[in-house]
Amino acid sequence: MNRIVEVNNLVVRFGDFTAVNGISFDVKEGEIFGFLGPNGAGKTTTIRTITTIQEYDSGSVKIDGHDIKTEYLEARKLIGIAQQHISLDKDLTVRQNLKHHAILHKIPRKDIDRVVKETADILELGEFMDHKVMDLSGGWKRKAAIVAAIIHNPKILLLDEPTAGLDTRSRYMLWDLVRMLNARGTTIFLTTHYIEEAESLCDRVAIINHGKLVAIGTTDELRDMIGKVAVDTTDDNGKRMVRYFETREAAKDFSATLGERMFSVRRTTLEDVFLEITGESGRKLQ
Amino acid sequence: MSILDETYRVAWGDLQYMKGNIVEVLLSSLIGPLLYLLAFGFGIGGTMDDPNSYVLYIIPGIIALTTLSSTFSTVSMKVLVQRLFYMSFDELLLCPIHITSIILGKTVQGIVRALISCTILMVVGWIICPDVKPGPWVFLAIILGSFMFSLLGLLAGMLTNKTQNLSLFSSIVVVPMTFLCGTIFNLDVLPDVVAGIIYVLPLTHVSNLMRGIMLPDYTVGIDSIIIILIYIAVMFAFCYYLIKKNKC
Repeated sequence: MNRIVEVNNLVVRFGDFTAVNGISFDVKEGEIFGFLGPNGAGKTTTIRTITTIQEYDSGSVKIDGHDIKTEYLEARKLIGIAQQHISLDKDLTVRQNLKHHAILHKIPRKDIDRVVKETADILELGEFMDHKVMDLSGGWKRKAAIVAAIIHNPKILLLDEPTAGLDTRSRYMLWDLVRMLNARGTTIFLTTHYIEEAESLCDRVAIINHGKLVAIGTTDELRDMIGKVAVDTTDDNGKRMVRYFETREAAKDFSATLGERMFSVRRTTLEDVFLEITGESGRKLQ
Repeated sequence: MSILDETYRVAWGDLQYMKGNIVEVLLSSLIGPLLYLLAFGFGIGGTMDDPNSYVLYIIPGIIALTTLSSTFSTVSMKVLVQRLFYMSFDELLLCPIHITSIILGKTVQGIVRALISCTILMVVGWIICPDVKPGPWVFLAIILGSFMFSLLGLLAGMLTNKTQNLSLFSSIVVVPMTFLCGTIFNLDVLPDVVAGIIYVLPLTHVSNLMRGIMLPDYTVGIDSIIIILIYIAVMFAFCYYLIKKNKC
């Protein structure tokens, strides 16, 4: 499978602080690739580097074979990005914003109105096209930002925390949208701190912590790293404890040693992997 | 050609906003200069022995002043808001557009606004004082002056991280320039040291340029053109550096 993104030994420093410390990974054409990590782990720095707006100290990044240092204009043509913050001009309408993105991405003038309409129709943005961006709800703003990001039909769409701050309904709406875009052939690079989002959407996941890549693979491969079956219990002080096992039988054998103590045996999740690898706690990786 | 085409592409969004708010944009550009013309030209000028010659003297100065007032605040505030609040400035950096085009494109709004405002002021000036001779070179001078001050606005918008700092910069740099750079009085009346300081300020040379073009008794000083071009080159290079190094 063709590699759309190739990152090799990437290092990004801010003064004495190393934000990204020698990470390497590929994103394959057609996949949904999740990039997880706690706040400050280096996710946004990595995504800004891949999108060519962050200078890096060493290593290399290629987008569909184009080195972002020497061929950054070519690379940018292939990238669409919806940033963590809605980066549309709030003084303009949705239609004006989309037209401006089309103009900036050098879509031929005669095609602009058609492309804007067709792309907006895919995401059912029609009724909001002449609303000012500042008047839209959070979910629709995010949707408009994603439409703007795909207006030039990029090979890879980078979504930086696309559902941060959205209510559950809007979040599911965006999950459907991501699946739909991927089904239409767009490779997706997704950063998130919602584990269930990565688990639900991504074909492969990479986990970054303190600027280093600590794990990469499919959800199943990552689960195999720590064991497929988890046993949850509590110690004498009521503190949660968890142990992982290769097989359900091994987990049951361990459970039998717990005596009167309450326990549950369950399938290991991506969240377990994340917590085990990063040492973070809590369902949301903040 | 590619750079000009890209410049238009960058400017398109700002021009759409301007088109949709043209009355507010023009009123905010014109009220100040018209008040200066009224207050200084007819108010103070009316107390002089030859009021007409003073009105004639300040019309080019007020047009020069307008190249500053109608560009700096518009460009700097727009860039600041797009950087810090709308986050839409980053979008430009993510597009397949050259840095030169981004810089030129962000100045277009200021230049267009200055051209419209200065043209209206020239018509008003010509009506009240027909000795004013605006020719085609005036428009080149307006473009040159407003491009320089738009670059200043772009720099301020990229370097500032608070709206209060922008206001402070405006109070310390822009407002003094407005009054001191030979727009409403002749610099010859100032002490040599003060006149020397004012000589290096850019608005002084836009005023000189306007008078040289519009008034029969003045000539265009080559030093003014050179100083304006130096300001443009330095500010352009600084803007380029800030964008290239992602320091904005």
